[in-house]
Amino acid sequence: MNGTLIRLTARQLLGQKRTVLLLLFGLVPVLIAVLYRVAGNDEPQRWAASALNARLIIGTFLPLAALVFGTAALGSEFEDGTAVYILSKPIPRRVIVLSKLLVSWLATAGVVLAATVVATIIALWGEPRDGILVGFALAVVAGALVYCALFMWLSVLTSRALIVGLLYVFIWEGVITRLFAGVRFFSVRQYTLGIADTVVDVPARVFNPRLGEMEAVALATITTALTVYLAVRRLRRWEIGEAS
Amino acid sequence: MSAPAPPIAVINVSRWYGNIVAVNDISFALGPGITGLLGPNGAGKSTMLHMLSGFLQPSAGELRVFGESAWENPGMYRRIGLVPEREAVYPFLTGYEFVLLAAQLQRLPNPEEAARQAIAMVELEDAAGRATGGYSKGMKQRVKIAAALVHDPEILLLDEPFNGADPRQRLQMMAMLREMAARGRTILFSSHILEEVERLAEEVLVIVAGRLAASGDFREIRKLMTDRPHTFNVRSSDNRALAAALVADPSVYGVELQDGLLQVRTGEFAAFTLAIPGVARQAGVSIYELRPTDESLESVFSYLVKR
Amino acid sequence: MPPADQRTGSIYDLGYRRYDGLRLGRQHAVLSLYVYTLRGAFGIGRRASSKIIPIIITVIAFLPALIQLGVAAIVSDEVDIIRPENYFGFVQVPVALFCAAIAPEITGRDMRQRTLSLYFSRALERRDYALAKLAAFATALMVLTLAPQALLLVGNGLASKDLADYVGDNWKDMPRTIISGVGIAAAMGAVALAIAAQTSRRAYATIAVVAWFLVTWPISGILVAEVGGAGRAAALLSPFDFVYGATLWVFDVEPDQDSVQDLAEIPLWGYGAAVAAYAAAGTALVIRRFGRIAA
Repeated sequence: MNGTLIRLTARQLLGQKRTVLLLLFGLVPVLIAVLYRVAGNDEPQRWAASALNARLIIGTFLPLAALVFGTAALGSEFEDGTAVYILSKPIPRRVIVLSKLLVSWLATAGVVLAATVVATIIALWGEPRDGILVGFALAVVAGALVYCALFMWLSVLTSRALIVGLLYVFIWEGVITRLFAGVRFFSVRQYTLGIADTVVDVPARVFNPRLGEMEAVALATITTALTVYLAVRRLRRWEIGEAS
Repeated sequence: MSAPAPPIAVINVSRWYGNIVAVNDISFALGPGITGLLGPNGAGKSTMLHMLSGFLQPSAGELRVFGESAWENPGMYRRIGLVPEREAVYPFLTGYEFVLLAAQLQRLPNPEEAARQAIAMVELEDAAGRATGGYSKGMKQRVKIAAALVHDPEILLLDEPFNGADPRQRLQMMAMLREMAARGRTILFSSHILEEVERLAEEVLVIVAGRLAASGDFREIRKLMTDRPHTFNVRSSDNRALAAALVADPSVYGVELQDGLLQVRTGEFAAFTLAIPGVARQAGVSIYELRPTDESLESVFSYLVKR
Repeated sequence: MPPADQRTGSIYDLGYRRYDGLRLGRQHAVLSLYVYTLRGAFGIGRRASSKIIPIIITVIAFLPALIQLGVAAIVSDEVDIIRPENYFGFVQVPVALFCAAIAPEITGRDMRQRTLSLYFSRALERRDYALAKLAAFATALMVLTLAPQALLLVGNGLASKDLADYVGDNWKDMPRTIISGVGIAAAMGAVALAIAAQTSRRAYATIAVVAWFLVTWPISGILVAEVGGAGRAAALLSPFDFVYGATLWVFDVEPDQDSVQDLAEIPLWGYGAAVAAYAAAGTALVIRRFGRIAA
């Protein structure tokens, strides 16, 4: 880790306009939770776990936020041509990737965790939480790391990382995982849901992830380590674009 | 112990993209001083600089910076500074912060002081507190140079450094580079503008279509071009008499009289310059002016490019 | 060229001439921009790497038609034929991806490379530029919405035992298919372009377009299905939901049990009105954007 790089990346990612937009983005699940409570329904636990957290936050908000920060942390430097300034310094490439990853992870986790905690507390106001709050809070923080590492690797690999990442999240994880059960072993969304299950203590009717707890933790760890390794390797051999 | 490795050694280096050859079997070695990398657009200058700075892998051959490979070797950036061609900067950083960033990433013991000194070297003190996003082209160019030399590198690589600089800034930058060269630094800059190279470079490397067409002092290169006659313009007390006398000299190919001016073509630069004073004295002619017409880099360059 | 006199300056006539032929004018300029933009949307005339993504997405849009025709050809002609309204339900996904990937290219290139001023200094007016770009993008989307169905129609017609019968059974679907296909392309295309045109940075534009499609979708789902009440109006927020509602209206089909359109209890013509309103609002925003932008 390198303090200078961390500060630089934080300034890149948290420009004023972007931060305001992201905070608005984080407000959406909270607003939905308020509307849900106002309407008053009979199964708040099932709604909070399966609809609010699993589908809305982990299915959409977490990957989108990770896509924004994970591809921007390094990818925008390639696009703008500023990458040369950090790469032409005697810093191990591992340190560059890890520093950029740390900031994009904290930014993603910060926005999504705040939304998860506030929205879940509202959705389960006066109801037993049975680990739903802590479980999903833990899951989004862990999931943010896996997603950011994956998208950062994509951003070193291709200049269209954003589009490739979108195809991954919404075609692979969203559609194909539903059609072919085996694909769940290659879906960060399923890892994230599995990690939530390590703490969440509710009947399967309320929340039932498709991966076991240990499988999810192991696969998430392997994916993070592998994508970080691949990103570092790729960055070591990064070549400047011809006409760029 | 063998002799210390030269700052830059390029041995039979080629680089191709698919089936397009950008750099074709180039070899040279560089020591302290200013070298100009000259060539038309698309000749492979940037490819060469990118390989030297470790941002392109040579497809063949060896490329050594202080005896070490430039590829996959971030440690070498302690000793080299790179000024890329693109004007990109971090628009939200001020000029001072941008140079400070470079100093901190170089892990200098006193980055603030180093950044201030580098900014002073490029005379950017007045604008150092402003965001670089609002800089003009010339200011961006100078802040990039300041960032590249903040750690006082032994090698400075500059890709088209005078783009966008106004004439006064250009002179100032040239003076600064000369001063660095005088302190024993190795400086390599690329340019497609002859006038810049001619004024600044002690040595030139001419790259044409990916191949090294010539290297060395361009006046020396000119002398090697024996298949093309040298032309001298002579003004004297009696051009016609001098012409008649010169035609008799074996080193002279031809003479031409224009009003008030005698043009002499010769195949041997040295022999001719040695012979002419004697010939003139014998003919009883005094020479007022003797000037080679095409010793400018431009004529050398157009010769090499067209060959 | 005569030899130069060495002491006095001379200017030689190199034979440059002013163009004094016919100028094709504004209409032709608009048409040229339209064709150029439409080709560019699919990467035609651009380098190979710009072709990959539009081609992949276009292939995704054609997949069901190809699969159905393939199966029908191999197995028998008694295969379930994909209904046009169901095809539209599917094709929305590639259309959204196309919007996210390509809408930022339509105007973003001109904004990034500062070529807008070159356009505006020609016969073209700002409004013409906006409309030509929008029309080209909507046409590109119609390739995704209409071409696979045209292929299906022709393929199924040729595969059926009696062509006249097939035409008799299906002629009613043709105008409906065209209306739906044009409506989807116009509404999604206009709004996506209006969003993408706000920034010259490709990444931001893509994210903003994606957010419009994908953030509103679960919101609409949850508000309609779980919250109810006034929340049911959220079906009109999500492009996937209101566009599909409009398709159901055009084909005069009842929504599936428990689908968003079923639970929302909005009359189906309301979705048709929403499609028209979004298309109009998007167009107005694109025109406004290029009317004001500093070229």
